[in-house]
Amino acid sequence: MKRGLKIFLLVGVAILIAVWLAWRAASQPVAPDQPIAYNHWQHISKPDGPQLDCDFCHEYADKSAHATIPNITTCMGCHEAVKTDSPEVQKLAAYAQRQEQPKWVRVYFFDPEADVFFSHKPHVKANIACTDCHGNVPQLQKMRREVKHTMGWCIECHRQRKVSIDCYVCHR
Amino acid sequence: MSETTPTNKPQWAMVIDLDRCTGCEACVVACNVENNVATVGAEEAAKGRTINWIRIERYFEGEYPDVRVKFRPVMCQHCEEAPCEPVCPVYATYHTDEGLNAQVYNRCVGTRYCANNCPYTVRSFNFFDHVWDAPLQKAWNPEVSVRSRGVMEKCTFCVQRIKAGEAKAKDENRDVKDGDVTPACVQTCPTKAMYFGNIADPTSEVAKLSKSSRATKLLEDLGTKPKVIYLNEGE
Repeated sequence: MKRGLKIFLLVGVAILIAVWLAWRAASQPVAPDQPIAYNHWQHISKPDGPQLDCDFCHEYADKSAHATIPNITTCMGCHEAVKTDSPEVQKLAAYAQRQEQPKWVRVYFFDPEADVFFSHKPHVKANIACTDCHGNVPQLQKMRREVKHTMGWCIECHRQRKVSIDCYVCHR
Repeated sequence: MSETTPTNKPQWAMVIDLDRCTGCEACVVACNVENNVATVGAEEAAKGRTINWIRIERYFEGEYPDVRVKFRPVMCQHCEEAPCEPVCPVYATYHTDEGLNAQVYNRCVGTRYCANNCPYTVRSFNFFDHVWDAPLQKAWNPEVSVRSRGVMEKCTFCVQRIKAGEAKAKDENRDVKDGDVTPACVQTCPTKAMYFGNIADPTSEVAKLSKSSRATKLLEDLGTKPKVIYLNEGE
């Protein structure tokens, strides 16, 4: 009887630890490793950095559905000459040499099953700040998903701003 | 059903001139391609499991050799008093403020009550997950979802094109006008038998044609108030 209790307790503790680990992993922001360790803070917020705007690189955010990631020729525009001694910039130069685009890992996206058809353009035109939906990216050393884009979260903002919450606005 | 509230939103409607329809089914093909409509194959088709957002009905009149064929394209009529809407237990089908009968695939649980209640039998059910033989899946329209097994689907009046047309009009800071929105069937019709537009705008072509003496609606006496208007053949 005593042995049975011991096993029961051990299994119970093991399950609790497993649940806790899973919960911790699930609550961590998604921060995939990228082919080049691009640093948003360095490009946007660093006092002696280039202090770029979001749309310097994501130039189609106000023109199309997708914000888009730039072709590396945009990067090489500066990095042909700037910080060529950094190992990450050398990786970039190697990509440019091979005329190949890095396979960036998407951080913000909707599941295909969600049937969501989001467009950046109307949101940028309505003066929604990029940081409202993407978190404080200008301060991030490594890009990660800070904001969870759930349907309730979208609807809440649409309600506040008195924008249509018709299903067909996002789902079709 | 719908409580008609005054709205300044466009009210989308279609006019089909039956005098011009030759029954070529180009609209059917265009619709399948535009909206990722699956083909089910001969075996499943024999069980009545085809998916069609638009079909051509054929009517034969007279005795051989003096036979006349009449064609009628039938798609979702986007009824103002749609019988499919109140029977859905999960509000997967509802009426938008632009007069569209919407189908929300994420909500649909596949009771098929709506299809049973549709007098025009224009709703199709996905009895299984469809397979597009490679490389056909590369031709999917990225603006339209690919429906999975267990959900109902039907003509949306090409809502993706409606939304694109409205966005364009908004960019140019004006109301939508004729030509902003052209569903795939209307665009492809070789005899220009189909018209699409905002019936709430009295200057639009559909509004003018809907006042024609030839204008009729399908099963009008049911009181469904369809948004598709047929212009009967002249003698």
